[in-house]
Amino acid sequence: MATEVDPTAPAETSGDARPLPDDELVRMLHMLKLCRYFDERMEALYRQGRLPGAIYSGRGQEGTHVGAAWALGPGDSLFPTHRDLSAQLTKGLDLKRVMAQFWGRIDGYTRGRDGNSHIGDWQGNKTFTVMSHLPIAYPVAVGAALAYKMKGESHVALAICGDGSTSNGRWHEAINTSAVHRLPVVWVVNNNQFAYSTPNMQEFAVPTIAERAVAYGIPGVRLDGGNILEVFEATREAVERARAGDGPTLIESVSLRWRGHAGHDPAKYMPDEMLQEYMANRDPVRNFEEYLLSAGVVTKDDIAEIAAEVEAEFEAGYEYALASPFPEPGDATKGLWVEDGYWTNEPGRGGGTEVG
Amino acid sequence: MATTVKLEAGAAGHGAEPRGKRGDDGQATYLIAIAEALWEEMERDERVYMLGEDIGVYGGAFKVTEGFLDRFGSDRVIDTPIAEETIVGMAVGSAMEGLRPVAEFQYADFMSSGFDSISTVLGRYHYRSGVPMPVVLRGPSGGYVRASSFHSVNPEPWFAYGGGIKIVAPAFPSDAKGLMKSAVRDDNPVLYLEHKWIYRRIKEQVPTDADFLVPIGEADVKREGTDVSIITYGALVHKSLEAAENLAQRGVSAEVVDLRTVLPIDEETVLNSIAKTSRALVVSESYRFVGIGAEVGATIAEKAFEHLDAPVTRLSPPNMPVPFSPPLEDAFLPQVADIERAVEKLSAW
Repeated sequence: MATEVDPTAPAETSGDARPLPDDELVRMLHMLKLCRYFDERMEALYRQGRLPGAIYSGRGQEGTHVGAAWALGPGDSLFPTHRDLSAQLTKGLDLKRVMAQFWGRIDGYTRGRDGNSHIGDWQGNKTFTVMSHLPIAYPVAVGAALAYKMKGESHVALAICGDGSTSNGRWHEAINTSAVHRLPVVWVVNNNQFAYSTPNMQEFAVPTIAERAVAYGIPGVRLDGGNILEVFEATREAVERARAGDGPTLIESVSLRWRGHAGHDPAKYMPDEMLQEYMANRDPVRNFEEYLLSAGVVTKDDIAEIAAEVEAEFEAGYEYALASPFPEPGDATKGLWVEDGYWTNEPGRGGGTEVG
Repeated sequence: MATTVKLEAGAAGHGAEPRGKRGDDGQATYLIAIAEALWEEMERDERVYMLGEDIGVYGGAFKVTEGFLDRFGSDRVIDTPIAEETIVGMAVGSAMEGLRPVAEFQYADFMSSGFDSISTVLGRYHYRSGVPMPVVLRGPSGGYVRASSFHSVNPEPWFAYGGGIKIVAPAFPSDAKGLMKSAVRDDNPVLYLEHKWIYRRIKEQVPTDADFLVPIGEADVKREGTDVSIITYGALVHKSLEAAENLAQRGVSAEVVDLRTVLPIDEETVLNSIAKTSRALVVSESYRFVGIGAEVGATIAEKAFEHLDAPVTRLSPPNMPVPFSPPLEDAFLPQVADIERAVEKLSAW
């Protein structure tokens, strides 16, 4: 059942037996680097006072986010948290519209009705619009999976939460119910070892989260979030199991939250030695880059090219976001009810493009 | 004309007895009317399904879903673990995938156990995403059945406050049937409150037309009058009608307005009634403090000031737990005599 992985051991690579075609591995690296660059630049803009609202960095955890979401097909649904923007980008969200959301613009996915990574694109990429009361999306994922089963569809729902969420009653409710009804769902826990400031040892009294799967009668896997291919392969297996009608799987992916809970949090509670160790040896982006270099899949020139592309994508997104209008103030109360027609009409565009 | 069946109060209104059927005269209880609406909607639209605790083999604590499992099967009548947050979450997630769930709460009291999924997810999802949310949450609410603090709640103010969820609370079997069918067909979330005191007590001729709908958001004047308007809903509609009948014998003409829907409130019907009578008594089983009656009263004071000849008056229980002992519960909840006294005081202005 649960696979023990020492989260402090150096990341392993898959050697010659690569699980994906080379061009797909390159695209995976591109996504990882885009997510990392986005995360760093958004934090810089936040600190400069050029970004309104909040940021929730997922840095250091991109292996979990990108690796898990990579295992999903277009018809599969994703139920993420505010820290999982990298998973949403992997699922297909448009960076331009994501950035318009951060600046409260009409072209953001929520049309200014929500901000930052409280985002989703159900109609397009089948991602749930994030809510704060974690793991509030876990029960909703049960419902989506129930619908797939009832309609005889082969889709799978995948939900992500953090280690902190596993202390909440809904985490138990949702996993238990999905196991009882043998639903096509994959439960991913991004164990970044801190629930805001609270470390794992004050969150639960068992050694791992994965072993709790036994109590629900489902398989549990613990793996290294610093190794994206390990995350991808385990998730792909869980997705296949769910698609085949064999029910849910619990995946615990271990990483470390490199930044504070949110932009305002300096995370002084984080032991520096631990942080340095993870940044030096368990960086999912650098690990994967080095692996692809050593495997001869990419060259240093390719990587430089990817870095340039990522920067250009970000700049284009930033430009788009600031050029997108604010919503019309008069539309603030519209769209609460379906019969308002607000969401089926062209969005109302207000004036002003100044930086918030 | 509705008739009231004499029932002994007790067992929290539970229905260990079978749900029963319409009589040969076509009369149906409120309980039967609700079941008929659900049955017909499940026959009409295969996307409609129900989930909840003990709704399958057992047929629900009050027997609303008795017989549904045999007809519609366990794929569409789903017994869940005792997990209210997840029951609502399942309804939401399946609605996002195009189904039309009807989730039963064994008692409306236990909606508090699913509070976050109801107020945070269900009520706020469409506004933030544009995704339709055709979810019905239904459950027995209200007191007068000696069921004390945890089986007598009127939860409508909890969920009215957050917005985004329509709330209906019918008093008559026909309204119950028509509103349930409208709720199932609505693309927005609807909280459907069934007053447990009414279930087996009130029966009337109920329409059999499969498309008989009562629109959500429309109040109904259940008794015309000229001296005082009683604005109410749920079980208190019946107590207000009884009070109005008694008052008529003493020469006081009370109009009884049944809100039927408490969100959105039908302001037009309420204000038209005040324009006629110039006196308003708002009777609500939800608490006086921040309750539905407070909202209706404030609306009347704000929008019908020029018509009023007397202060808007509220009759509601205090915001504290519903007590058990019969004399305590009777003192706590508005009674027919309380309504009569309040109307007489108002009519004397």
